[in-house]
Amino acid sequence: MDALISYLVNVISLGGTYALLALGLAVIFSVLGLINFAHGELMTLTGYVLLAGILTGQPFWLAVFVAVIAGGISAALMEFAAFRPVRNASGATLLMTSFAVSMLLQVLFQNGISPRGQAVPVPTWLTTSLSIGNSQISKVQIMSITVGVLALLALKFFFDRSYWGWAIRAAADDFEIVGLMGVKASRLISFAFLLSGLLAGVAGVLWVIQRGSVDPLMGFKPVLAAFIVAVIGGLGSLTGAVAGGFILSAIEIALQTWLPPNVMPYRDAITYTIVVIILSIFPNGIFGKRTQEKV
Amino acid sequence: MQRKSGPSKVTKMAVSLSAIMLLSACASGDGEATASGEATAPAAGAACTVKVGVAGSQTGGLAYIDVPNLEGFELWAEQVNAAGGVDGKFTIETVVKDTRSDAAQSATVAAELVAEEISILITPGDADPSIAAGQLAQDAGIAAVSWFGSSPILPLAVGDHMFSNAFGDNTQAKVLADHATEMGYKNAYTLGSPDSAYTNLLPGYFKEAFEANGGKVVGEGTFSMGQASFSVIVDEIKALSPAPDVIMTPAYEPDFPTFIKALRGAGITAAVLGTDGIDSPTTLALADIAEGVTYTTAGVLKNEGAMSTFFTDYNGKYGKDPETIYAVTGYELGLTLDAVVKQAQSCDADAIWQAWSNLEGAQGITGAISYKGGDRMAIREVALVEIKNSERSLVGTFSPDPATVPKAQL
Repeated sequence: MDALISYLVNVISLGGTYALLALGLAVIFSVLGLINFAHGELMTLTGYVLLAGILTGQPFWLAVFVAVIAGGISAALMEFAAFRPVRNASGATLLMTSFAVSMLLQVLFQNGISPRGQAVPVPTWLTTSLSIGNSQISKVQIMSITVGVLALLALKFFFDRSYWGWAIRAAADDFEIVGLMGVKASRLISFAFLLSGLLAGVAGVLWVIQRGSVDPLMGFKPVLAAFIVAVIGGLGSLTGAVAGGFILSAIEIALQTWLPPNVMPYRDAITYTIVVIILSIFPNGIFGKRTQEKV
Repeated sequence: MQRKSGPSKVTKMAVSLSAIMLLSACASGDGEATASGEATAPAAGAACTVKVGVAGSQTGGLAYIDVPNLEGFELWAEQVNAAGGVDGKFTIETVVKDTRSDAAQSATVAAELVAEEISILITPGDADPSIAAGQLAQDAGIAAVSWFGSSPILPLAVGDHMFSNAFGDNTQAKVLADHATEMGYKNAYTLGSPDSAYTNLLPGYFKEAFEANGGKVVGEGTFSMGQASFSVIVDEIKALSPAPDVIMTPAYEPDFPTFIKALRGAGITAAVLGTDGIDSPTTLALADIAEGVTYTTAGVLKNEGAMSTFFTDYNGKYGKDPETIYAVTGYELGLTLDAVVKQAQSCDADAIWQAWSNLEGAQGITGAISYKGGDRMAIREVALVEIKNSERSLVGTFSPDPATVPKAQL
């Protein structure tokens, strides 16, 4: 029973972060057909802003708030400076642009701040654990689950009830039709980047608080995981991004928990093999749309 | 369709670029093979320039170790040249190229440097890229020295021209195991990662030495570098019976802070032993969480004693204090080269290699450094440091008997 509780807590806390990250990617993919690999650097930037806030003596909640907002604004600026000029170019050009932005930001962090990681001091109340039954659950995980679930609920409300939420959902189905219905493409794309940046900001704060440090290359692994999550769920599917986050988390945690020690070094390889099996059953992802090719 | 065709074009482009890089690396390497040894060959004792090729990581995951090492080395070179060179006649010229923390790029850069007729090659502070770069120097008959790659497989994998400025991981593991035994710890848990030679082999060296001392390793965990969470591993440690009284891990940033936060957050109070990778302000800044963590390193980075002159000089050049011991080890690599060139009385690559192989008792900042009679890893003292009140506190310095040190695993 304790093992099951621990498993579920681990799956939900990691899955929530993966879901937020994958949603950030999915929102951009919906409107631009682009997987933005610089999404991870938005997380890193959020981490540095959070660190700056804490080091300058701001209250923790204010530092978190400013960091998340910084993620959103940076994403909008990224769209304006890097992606708008090549918006009508091919998918490969957009992809290369996202790699270029990612590399540029990494080098800027390394040379402008430090190639070394920086410890992010979080309040001591976050570093202890709570007892639930016979299980001990760290407060960071409880916060991770709470923030993750609240953020996902807020997003659901946003997508269901707001104009821009509808527009992004509609764009995920058919971007051209949304344009024909009077939604300005530039505004929709800018807004999607802003939202994606805010999601990267929330995920970045959770990631940094859990890891205790921020470094220039921090964003690479999470964005890779988010990409896999988005593919499992179905590229461009917002529901799929959330489902994919929890599926990947469930696979990773299960393997980490129950794999025999001598097989453990192959964990990542086994994870990706399972992902490939899922994709062979659902070629467009679990919630992906079927595409028909015209000859 | 667009989404499908994009990545395939990118893949083709990436493959083409890799092929071009590989070909250019091979071409440079071949060209050098005939040119080495004749680069700078004035008569022994005559003034000449020692051309030092630095294939180091200015960017990427190894920049945290290579950048401070280079800063320390360049400080030494500047001081030596200001004084007229080593022995007043052998000036130092440093040619730096970025390996971007990538093994393939390290080989490319090393090939370019070897083609520039260097006297000696400096390689990154990690075994994997150093092996890639070192093989080209080996073929060209030029000595290669890693900034601080501590895996003892490095010289074994490359050959007799490959050295490291670091003590071996087997040696630092032995120091940690002896400390654990002296502290009365009976049951240990080790946590490694298959992602690098450093994180993969250190737990095994520790296990061998600790069990030879009569201790028992009751659990061995693995992690992926950069993994999101250590909660499952912490749960695994909590479930162990008997519970470990000491945990040894070569994890470093950003994994070490994540691990120890999760560990202490779950209420596990077992002692934690680490290795030189965590000797950084990031670990110290973890405050209470890192209190009592004990680790091996090259020396205690403090502005006092033998190190105070270095602090003053470093601050004078860079306008900041050194953050990690790697700035000191970079300077010490310069001091080692100083002793080697004095011995060789030449800028010739082969003479420098021979002098390096037979070096005894070069005076570094943290102590003496030798290579003669060893396995081409630096024979130098290992400092054991404990974090007390967020500061480094020296437990002691150790030189384990080589006969008791676990054998390097290839």
